[in-house]
Amino acid sequence: MFTNFKNKSLKWYFLVLFVLVNIVVNAQDKKVTGRITSSDDLLGLPGANVYIKGSSVGSSADMDGNYTVIVSEKNAVLVFNFIGYKTVEIPLGNKTVVNVSLKPDTKALDEVIVVGYGTRKKSDITGSVSSVTAKELTAYPLLSAEQALQGRAAGVSVQSNNGGEPGSPVKIRVRGGTSINASGDALIVVDGFAGVSMPQPQDIASIEILKDASATAIYGSRGSNGVIMVTTKKGKPGKPVIEFSNSTSIQSVNNKLDLLDADQFVAYRKSFTTHTSAGANTDWQDVIYREGMLSNTSLSFSGGSEAIKYYVSGNYFNQNGVVINSGIEKYTIVSNLEADLTDKLKVGLNLFQSKQNKDGIVSQTGAGGTGAAGVIASAYRFMPDKGIYNEDGTYTTTAPIGDNIDNPYATAMENILETVSFVNRSNFFAQYKITNDLDFKTTLGLSDSNSETGRYIPSTLIAGKNIKGEASVNNSRNSSFLTENYLTYKKEIIEKGVLTVLGGYSYQKNKNQSSYAAARGFLTDTNSYHNLGAGTVFMKPNSSLSETELISAFGRLNFDYDDRYLVTFTARRDGSSSFSKNYKYGTFPSGAIGWNVSKEGFLIDNKTISNLKLRASYGATGNPSIGAYSTLSRFSEIYDVSGDVIVNAVQLTSLDNPNLKWETSYQQDYGIDLGLFENRISLTADYYITNTKDLLFNRPLPGVSGIGSQLQNVGELENKGWELGINSKNFTGADFTWSTNFNISSNKNKVLKLADNKDLLINSTPGHFLATDSQILRVGEPVGSFFGFVYDGVIQQGETVLPGNFETIAGGEKFKDVNGDGKLDSQDKTIIGNPNPDFIFGLNNDFTYKNIDLNIFFQGSQGNQILNYTLMELASGNNNATTEVLDAWTPTNTDTNVPVNAARTKRVTSRFVYDGSYIRLKNISLGYSLDENIVSKIGLSKVRFYISAQNLWTITDYPGSDPEGNYLNDTNARSNTNLGLEYGGYPNVRTFTFGFNLKF
Amino acid sequence: MKKYITFLLLGVFAFSCSDLEEKPVGIIGPGNFFNNTNDLQAAVNGAFANIAHNNYWGREFTIALMLRDDMADIGDRTTQAARIDVNDMTMNDTNALVANFWPQSYIIITAANQAIEGAKKTPGDPEKVNAIVAQAYFARAFTYYHLVRIFGDIPYVDFVVSDVSQVNSLGKTKEADVYLKIIADLEFAKQWLEDKPKAKAVPGKGTAAGYLASVYLTLGNYQKAYDEAKYVITNETKFGLGLDADFQDLFNATKAASLKEPMFTIDFNNLNSGNYGQDYTAFFTGSLKDDSYNYGQGFSVAVPSLKVFNTWDQRDYRRAVSFDTIIRKKTGPGGSLQVYPSSDNEKAPRPHIAKYYRFPGKAGANGRTSEHNYITMRYAEVLLTAAEALNEINPGTTEADGYVNRVRARARNKAGKMVSFPANVAPGLSKNDFKKMVIDERRLEFAFEYIRWYDIKRLKNGPEVFGPDGLEPHANFNPAKDYLFPLPGTELAINPNLQPNNPGY
Repeated sequence: MFTNFKNKSLKWYFLVLFVLVNIVVNAQDKKVTGRITSSDDLLGLPGANVYIKGSSVGSSADMDGNYTVIVSEKNAVLVFNFIGYKTVEIPLGNKTVVNVSLKPDTKALDEVIVVGYGTRKKSDITGSVSSVTAKELTAYPLLSAEQALQGRAAGVSVQSNNGGEPGSPVKIRVRGGTSINASGDALIVVDGFAGVSMPQPQDIASIEILKDASATAIYGSRGSNGVIMVTTKKGKPGKPVIEFSNSTSIQSVNNKLDLLDADQFVAYRKSFTTHTSAGANTDWQDVIYREGMLSNTSLSFSGGSEAIKYYVSGNYFNQNGVVINSGIEKYTIVSNLEADLTDKLKVGLNLFQSKQNKDGIVSQTGAGGTGAAGVIASAYRFMPDKGIYNEDGTYTTTAPIGDNIDNPYATAMENILETVSFVNRSNFFAQYKITNDLDFKTTLGLSDSNSETGRYIPSTLIAGKNIKGEASVNNSRNSSFLTENYLTYKKEIIEKGVLTVLGGYSYQKNKNQSSYAAARGFLTDTNSYHNLGAGTVFMKPNSSLSETELISAFGRLNFDYDDRYLVTFTARRDGSSSFSKNYKYGTFPSGAIGWNVSKEGFLIDNKTISNLKLRASYGATGNPSIGAYSTLSRFSEIYDVSGDVIVNAVQLTSLDNPNLKWETSYQQDYGIDLGLFENRISLTADYYITNTKDLLFNRPLPGVSGIGSQLQNVGELENKGWELGINSKNFTGADFTWSTNFNISSNKNKVLKLADNKDLLINSTPGHFLATDSQILRVGEPVGSFFGFVYDGVIQQGETVLPGNFETIAGGEKFKDVNGDGKLDSQDKTIIGNPNPDFIFGLNNDFTYKNIDLNIFFQGSQGNQILNYTLMELASGNNNATTEVLDAWTPTNTDTNVPVNAARTKRVTSRFVYDGSYIRLKNISLGYSLDENIVSKIGLSKVRFYISAQNLWTITDYPGSDPEGNYLNDTNARSNTNLGLEYGGYPNVRTFTFGFNLKF
Repeated sequence: MKKYITFLLLGVFAFSCSDLEEKPVGIIGPGNFFNNTNDLQAAVNGAFANIAHNNYWGREFTIALMLRDDMADIGDRTTQAARIDVNDMTMNDTNALVANFWPQSYIIITAANQAIEGAKKTPGDPEKVNAIVAQAYFARAFTYYHLVRIFGDIPYVDFVVSDVSQVNSLGKTKEADVYLKIIADLEFAKQWLEDKPKAKAVPGKGTAAGYLASVYLTLGNYQKAYDEAKYVITNETKFGLGLDADFQDLFNATKAASLKEPMFTIDFNNLNSGNYGQDYTAFFTGSLKDDSYNYGQGFSVAVPSLKVFNTWDQRDYRRAVSFDTIIRKKTGPGGSLQVYPSSDNEKAPRPHIAKYYRFPGKAGANGRTSEHNYITMRYAEVLLTAAEALNEINPGTTEADGYVNRVRARARNKAGKMVSFPANVAPGLSKNDFKKMVIDERRLEFAFEYIRWYDIKRLKNGPEVFGPDGLEPHANFNPAKDYLFPLPGTELAINPNLQPNNPGY
């Protein structure tokens, strides 16, 4: 769908642009070079700044600490600075080489961490916060920064909702799921703008993940799922830095299922039913899979003077998926400006714009019955003895076996499913220093995201045949307005005692609109969804509007005594229009204490322990998932026909719900930060218990009320776990360096209370399975627990079979009589698996040797189970099967767990629950940077080439297509309970990438 | 510098005024509705829309009603177990059909109650307001009349539920008291409804009276049943009622708009919005393997009991309208349709019900989402009700014979050609013979039209009709249990005051 032409032309555009800029930049004078090192270890300080005092000219050091700066003035003074080091000024004189060694600033040893409404030195942080660096985010090409968080931070789990689908949404959970029916998604805050989408990885300077209540309570009713603070790149004073990077990747399907070929399939079918071979031999997976291509190009300009700084960038991402007819392209523009208007007044503007075109295929279908199978599921199901076309040129279908479905090629090529989305976001801020101690900041943000999904089901497919095609267009528009205003007061109120007080007010308004139109009965399929008027049958159109307002007051008090004793109190009061009448406002307080033990006299000179901090926090945060107007009594317009004309009709669809509350999470956190050997090894460990109360559940109402159910606060959930992160600089030689980052975390999730403490059964099986419950919510058990029969092997000849409505023949499926009552029935269903992992981890190693850099990143999950609906379906007889059936029970092959070949009910049993543990080589990349002396001659400051591979290698026992698979977890409730499921998902991919980065 | 501060602080105050009160646009709350009679009509339509719903007249309720009698049996026995259980008298309190049509019944009633409450504050000419709200009274009576016949004692709600606690512990109302309330609602409807509404989907005076006649017949109050039926018959011209000439036209969706005979219809128009406007009757009654129609094969869920077909006089035109005895199959891709006997459908090798599958108008796949305007009561029923009631009061009248003869005369119009069968009633039948005759006339005239089960129930002739010599033998038929359906178990679990369930469940 996406032509290479567009891609190429865009590359040319970027090339021309930077050549032009190059000419401007080169009209300069004297070149000064040198190396900026740390006095500790004489290692280079990548990113350290150098600039000419009193001007905007400057640059920053490369990976090895080398810098180049062009100086035109005489008597110039070079200023060197870097976070955590003391600033040094050196008069230049006649020198052309200036090497400098910066001394650590013990007082400001720390990095600065972005927290809600401000920053804190890392050593002063009392809450639990994980940081992810720009380098980690861009280690390999990805469409979304969300996905780049996978394996990077302890306690943060990241999963694609649909395997390797281009543009698949990503699910992030911070410290497990704190809800069952409300959203489990963390709040994303980009440069202070809460509740927006993330920018591209290339434009992000750092991401901080606020995890405990002390850190998240400043976001009050939206804090209980954690907060992801994104800081985009900003300009630094100095000469313009232009960066151009491009990568091209080739992708292939990670793993195909071993299915029967035509001969095996015909023999398999004939072993239990009549079957006439259709004569072909088609590997449907080969038909729909192809080599995918991904290219990612970005260009950025940054720099500025002391007074005005800028960062502008453009990014183009284009991916042709590994399944035919699927792909995505995305354009992004970012512009960040900051200006110091006076000594006291600073203003800034962050702009973000993106456009995304997604060309989708149907997969993970919930109801894959007649004419409704997804592409991937039908590639597995469809009989291999048929070809793509019938003799008359029409597409083959599965008729007469099972539900009649189209072949996967037809489904992929003929269905049209396109989504175009736009995001426009601008965020203005002004900051005014009222006194030296008191600072005021105001922000004003506008965000608009629009999307249009067009769909066409053509008459060439089963679903479109009788209705002569169905076209639909779905538009949605979400806009958000946000202003935040706050004062920060910071003063040493007693000797060594620093008080920081933050207080503010915020107002946010969100508006969501949608519209839908559809028609059927077209003369031709060629109009796609672009001419609804050409239909003969018009479907009921739809449009909607909802508005929500959030008014908040928030405050934080930090008191640090001698950098040793740290106290933090945070509170936010949120009022939301969508909250119920009697609970319009909620208050969310938290408190935390920290003790920098290493600053105490007895440790201060310790050679081994360079940093030791103990932390503890407790607080309450909320999850507001109460939809607009949902607590109001409401009439809904419904469809009614009277005398063959459609007439207005309304019906009561919800009752007043004046006492509905948000969900509240009470979290305690205990942490330790340890730095050893001058912080060459640093370690952070946390233990937490989160108790979420007032869980929102749709409680069934008596039928006589005329209303099916009502949202009520019932239920309680606990998440308990530990996290460990280790960063180690293993080797720091002049030519060779090696550093390791490791994180591991474990979360145990348990339901504490349900309505009347009754089990709640959930059916997540695809509709056409006609199966009943597959999961259970039960007090004392984790959310998402699989529920079904315990598979007990096959019935051997002569074996007595328990009474019940199950197979009785030799070779049939046998199930355990769990309750021991001597018969098999639904009472014998039990918990048959847990989708929650024992722990997840990430292990990252960076090596550099001279100009060569190597990154090896492993990521994995241990102890989680997967209930595989794909394999359940493939074992049911009326479709193709995996090669497992070659080992099926026969009178001569009795030592097997695979039941005799038959068409059988799709039943949720432990037979289809598998260990989903895996260790995956997520990324390996090898880079080479050209020698700077050579590079500088062509006007560049850095040239790096790299090759990398993603998902190259996986260790797992999981028999399905991929242990990172997922099934229908797109909506709130489903995303919390549809855990560890797989059905007909887009396959995961293996990627080989070649790329380069240029810097001017 | 001051001006900067002013500018900055503006941000604080400009947006600080909001009371967080929700002011929904595009959403209606009961509080700000009922501003005129159009609003009231929309609220009334809410009840009718929920009758024309998958969970009620579209599928779940009607299929139960059709299968329960001795006329329709299960064809494809791999169909949903709940349907088989209704047919085979093996229901329990988890029956999936009941689980759908029980709450749906109360959704209809809730909508009617909302309209009745809303009428109190609807401005406008009281006569006009009453004429509209009378439709809601009819809808409520209509729904309770079905509920009480299916379940016996039931919780009776005639108020607007604003808080769940009002119904959380509501007990059952006795069957007899429910009937009193149904009669009161129908009396109100009869008083205020229009003589001749603009569409058959809108109830009129005649509709209310016709239903009153039916209610009284069910209660065995033959005098009142006769009076109400007679009132309708006397006013048939005024009410725009009559018998349509060709029996087939009653079941042809494209002719529905011009019919005189319907007392009340539930209209579908081939479009739906989710479960609203969705019907499956053609889908359920059409034959598998039958490619006769462009909307595709039926599903053979409900098929005639074979004995019904075999015992039906072949000369009766109504037999030809009621059944299909052939199917047509395509021979190869692009091939032409070839005729096969119904027995070629191996899952249900027998004639199929044709009243719905043959002429559904425009229809979706397999005949679902049809254009049928389902007739819940025909004028013919009023005639036969009058005849039956009159025979009870005063046997042997020519008047009673005449009502039946009108129905029979129409049946002799075989698509425009007059035939001699069925002949007029032999005059002077005894009371019992006449009753037997008229009940059988109802059985044939209204075959598969949801009347027969209620006749079996009111006549308590289950052991006979489901006995070994009956049309559809069910040896397990238990008169102490099977005249009533079980209330849904989930409902009893939420509200223990509804216990115990009906006897035997």
